[in-house]
This record gives sequence, structure tokens and C-alpha cells, in this order.
Amino acid sequence: MSAVLKINGTEKTFDDGLPSNVSELLTTLEIDAATVVAEIDGRIIERKDFEKTALNQAQSIELIRFVGGG
Amino acid sequence: MGLLIIADREFSSRLFVGTGKFASNEVMKKAIEASGTQMVTVALRRVDINNENDNMLAAIDRTKYQLLPNTSGARNADEAVRLSRLARAASGIAWVKLEVTPDPYYLLPDGEETLKAAEILVKDGFVVLPYINADPILAKKLQDVGCATVMPLASPIGSNQGMKTKASIEIIIEQATVPVVVDAGLGAPSHAAEAMEMGADAVLVNTAIAAADDPAQMALAFKLATEAGRIAYETGLAPQSQAASASSPLTGFLR
Repeated sequence: MSAVLKINGTEKTFDDGLPSNVSELLTTLEIDAATVVAEIDGRIIERKDFEKTALNQAQSIELIRFVGGG
Repeated sequence: MGLLIIADREFSSRLFVGTGKFASNEVMKKAIEASGTQMVTVALRRVDINNENDNMLAAIDRTKYQLLPNTSGARNADEAVRLSRLARAASGIAWVKLEVTPDPYYLLPDGEETLKAAEILVKDGFVVLPYINADPILAKKLQDVGCATVMPLASPIGSNQGMKTKASIEIIIEQATVPVVVDAGLGAPSHAAEAMEMGADAVLVNTAIAAADDPAQMALAFKLATEAGRIAYETGLAPQSQAASASSPLTGFLR
């Protein structure tokens, strides 16, 4: 069953169903978990909680990282 | 040179370095090293989920350099508070360079929103370093709500124009009970020295270093200028006068 999440403002469809938690989502997207912080529907998810934070259909997820800045 | 103390941390370097605009992580790393800095600013942005993401943090040795996340991109207090909390979750430290810049052309900070965000963040346990226009009244208000420093701008961000707001920064320094960090617009080592000679506690430089032909050499130049200015300030400049005062003896001329 396909599922949809809104990631960084863009809808993304998962044909094989939702990743079960934030860690799995990052693995699916090939993003190194050590470099990001997540926000789900406005709630900040710390790195240590990535594995125990389940995902639900149609959630809005922000994946954020540090970049160079002044 | 005396140590700079911000919140509970001591810094022997009075030059903070921004990490934007460097041609590569390698160039940035060398410039940071050459600058002798102990604190570098970073920004938060969305991950690009379709392309490979560069991990700039890998180039920063966090045992040597403290991160100072900024809230760049925030247009109001709410956005700045949100970014600060994300930065804390991402970095594990509760220090933030608070900046609220609704106008994209001059990137001048919104004092009212900055003050609002500062109050919320201080109550939330953050060490807040607010980026502000050189407004002595606002600086005092931010100090009163518990900010760890004030960071008045010398001229618009990235403009390299130097100490355009000098007279107001002098007043801020005179009134401040927290460290004054001159941030933004310092385009040459002489500008940094000028700020330090006036009694600024530190300077923050990014563009002037990152956009130089050789960022590591320019970082070294800023390091020396910052130190020179500080030593001059601590020593006390000799007085100025209108009339000349001969340096050579006025007797024994060969006439």
C-alpha cells in the first residue's frame, strides 16, 4: 500500500508503505542520521528518539542540517 | 590579553568566524585554523532529499571550536525561536546567535522581534547572542532581559564597509555590562582593529575572510588585527591633540 509524507514542503510517496520510524525514513532517503534533526508536525524529534518515533500517513516532516553561515 | 568570558565560557581568542561562503570545506577548515578562533557560527537549512548533502560539520573539530548556530532566515520572533530550538536539538548546545532579518535587501535586524525572541529564549535556558542594529537603547533592553552579549552591526552583512555605525557602537560599549561583539560589515583587518581599539570585546567576521583570494591568510590577518586592537585598548592609546608635538628633541639643531 502506498503512503504519503510531506517532507521539507514536498509530498513524497512511498510505494511500499511508510517507513516505520524516523531512522528508517532516513535510511530510505539515504541521509546520514548523525547530521540531521527532524521536526514532525511542528514537534522537534531529537536524534536519540529517531528510532522510537513512529510515522503516520500525511505527516509533515522537516529534515534539517547545519550548513555554513555567518 | 585578558580572557573573554561569555556566559560560563572563557575564550582566549576574540575573533569569531562565520562559516558561510567558503569555496570548500577544506578551505574553510584551513581558514578557521589560521584565525585562531574558538567559536564559529553555522546556519540551519533543510536537507536536500534528492541530492547528496555535504556534511560541513565533519570539517569542524568541535573539541577546538564551539558551534554558535544562528537563526538566519528567521523573519520574526516565532521563526527565530523555532530555529533556535532546532539548533539546540541538532548541536546539543543551547547557544544561539539570534538574528531576525525580515528585509532581504539590507538584511537589517528587526529589533522588536529580536527582543521578543530573546525574552522567550533566555527563559528557555538559551545563551542568547543577539545580532542588532547599533541601537544603544535596544542593546540595554537585551542586556536587561538576560542576553549573554550584544552584537551590533558595523555595516550591513557582507558589505565589507567597515565601522559605519562607530558613534553608536561607542555608546553601546560605554553602557554595556555584557560583552559587545561587533558583527557584520567588517571588511578589512583594520576595521576589526578599529572596533577592538574602541573597546569592543570581540568581532565576528565571515565574508571578508571567506571571499578573500586566500582565506587562510586573510584569517591570519584578522587574527593579528583583532589581537593588536585589543592589546592597544587594554594598554590605553596615547592622547590625541590638535597641535603637533615633536617626537624628536627640539634642542641641539645643527644650524
